[in-house]
Amino acid sequence: MTLSLIFCLIATVIPVFFSRISSAPTWLSLQALALGWITLSDDFSAHTLLLGLEVLLVRAVLVPHLLRRALKRQAQSRISLMPSNFFTWGIAVMLIILAFKFGDGARADVRALTLGVVAATTVIALLILSTNHEPKAQLIALLFMENALALFESLMPEPWPWPVHLTISAVYVLTVTIGCHLLGGEPRPSVPAAKETP
Amino acid sequence: MSAPAVLTPQSVAAPGTAHWAAPALVAIASLAWLASVTVFVTHPLDELPLYFAQRFLVLDATSLLFVLVINTVFLGISVYMLTRQRSSLRLTRDIRSRAALSLAFMVVLNLGILSNHLILMWALIEVSTLCAAPLVARGDAQAPREVAWRYMLYSATTLAISFLGFMCLAQSADLRGIEISFQIDELSAALTTARDGWQRLGLAFILFGLGGKLGLAPLYGWLPETYETAPTSTSALLAAVQFNISVVAVFRVLQVFHGFDMNFVAQQLLIMGYLSLVVAAVQIMATRNYKRLIAYACVSSSGVIALGLSVGRAAAYGVVLYIVSNAFVKTLLFLTAGRLRAVYGTNDVAPLNGVIRVMPFSGLLFTVGIFALLGFPPFASFLAEMLILSGIVQAGNLMAFTVMCGMLTIIFVATGNTVFPMLWDESKRSGPAVVESLRTTLPKLGFVAILIMLGTYTPDSITQLLRAVAQSIAGI
Repeated sequence: MTLSLIFCLIATVIPVFFSRISSAPTWLSLQALALGWITLSDDFSAHTLLLGLEVLLVRAVLVPHLLRRALKRQAQSRISLMPSNFFTWGIAVMLIILAFKFGDGARADVRALTLGVVAATTVIALLILSTNHEPKAQLIALLFMENALALFESLMPEPWPWPVHLTISAVYVLTVTIGCHLLGGEPRPSVPAAKETP
Repeated sequence: MSAPAVLTPQSVAAPGTAHWAAPALVAIASLAWLASVTVFVTHPLDELPLYFAQRFLVLDATSLLFVLVINTVFLGISVYMLTRQRSSLRLTRDIRSRAALSLAFMVVLNLGILSNHLILMWALIEVSTLCAAPLVARGDAQAPREVAWRYMLYSATTLAISFLGFMCLAQSADLRGIEISFQIDELSAALTTARDGWQRLGLAFILFGLGGKLGLAPLYGWLPETYETAPTSTSALLAAVQFNISVVAVFRVLQVFHGFDMNFVAQQLLIMGYLSLVVAAVQIMATRNYKRLIAYACVSSSGVIALGLSVGRAAAYGVVLYIVSNAFVKTLLFLTAGRLRAVYGTNDVAPLNGVIRVMPFSGLLFTVGIFALLGFPPFASFLAEMLILSGIVQAGNLMAFTVMCGMLTIIFVATGNTVFPMLWDESKRSGPAVVESLRTTLPKLGFVAILIMLGTYTPDSITQLLRAVAQSIAGI
């Protein structure tokens, strides 16, 4: 569990400091692989197995594929995920430390680490949202945040029940679908709005 | 300046147009409305709550009231879309996708209101936003896609703040060695009456995030531009339907936290209420755009609701009545604004001077809507505002009373200053009055009738339902 959490943290933190928007789908896939690993390492019930498979299929394959396809056509994909300057880097490091302080109170190693990773992913996503005005980067930040929610599930004594789990997965898929539609499509031809018959 | 082309029903009929989509939408909305009324009639309040779908859904007074309200509002909106489809090229072209998205939006919101799981409700609110964003992107104001994106982003961010709140609650429960379930009827077992920083922080984040969805300051920024840019039927859906699922979420939080940290909740709601009223008053003074004016009125309504909720049981009935009446007022105003925009092609008030002479029906309905919005008798909003104010006085919070009265007076004067010349001044438009069919005004007349009924004579069964919801949020 600890190893998978560290893997998840690395897949969240590295792209924020060193990655461009175009490589974000790969990092999202890596985050999802870690999530799948965490889910499957819980126990070997049929429920867990299905949850793990769903995480891998939706989060590691489907959504990164949709995102990669949308980013291919975009010139802005060469932009860094977070502005590369010492100020934002300093804030990011500070937020990650604070996130792990937040987790510290749990007094149990794995739980503290999990809470720390969830909190770090959420605050990093909020930092990207507030520092990068490029909508593509903001979309990726939203996906990071939703992965944090999926990881939060591992803190619960029981996995989310199916209806909750499926709705959260639907949010993930719809976020990338609608986001790419709003940000990527050609502008629609304008139709005169005025003077229609009442 | 060249005159814009006049679109006639004949000119908008394009080959391959889905003429069945709008009537099908009305048929489904009618069925949903009938189903909700049937449930209301056949389930006495003392038989509630009823749990189903393995306790993930609950039918209690709160969910029953809001399912009834949103399906009534949706029926009116779908009839509006049917009548507008005949004269709007944009709507004719988009009707299939708009009808499908509106239906998906309604299914999700009905499930969300019935939800008995806080995280499920949270996720369904987000799904409803994702259904609404493409609808917002179909607006005909400037850059609708950008506005839709910002709406989606704002919503995700405010809901992320609520999610941080859930994390804090989980942390709080874990530190006390308690297993937490986010099932609404079980969550209070994981709370403590002792002072607990994590629990308070969680509560603060949850309310702050949901406040953003309600359009409460400081997270209200998405609301005016989204309501202004979206097609009017979508603005009405957001203001009168999606708003209500956020209200239900806040009610659920109040029901769960009753007896735990209520003073803290009251303080937070009070601050957000004050801020919202001040922001709305200032912005309404500055705006010269009637759709934006309605949007800022929504911010002020949220402020009134927050102030009312902050005083607890004294104003609870007034708050519930205010929320229900507001759903109909906002729908009435947005749908009428859509009709005005269709004829004048602008959201600015100046070109619409004397609109009541050009469009007598719509002008009159807009006037009625504005009076209801400002809290005039005999509308329900008058009674509700009086009940909230009297509740605030009973609770001894004279500061809240003064701020609410002061800001509502400013909003009253500023709205009148902007809207009354638009309605009654000399018209700049030549030609005869626009002919409006009865069918286009019928749903709006229905809303006016409901508003008057709620403000004068409310049937016992509805009064009991409103009272039951008020008691549940006041913890009686």
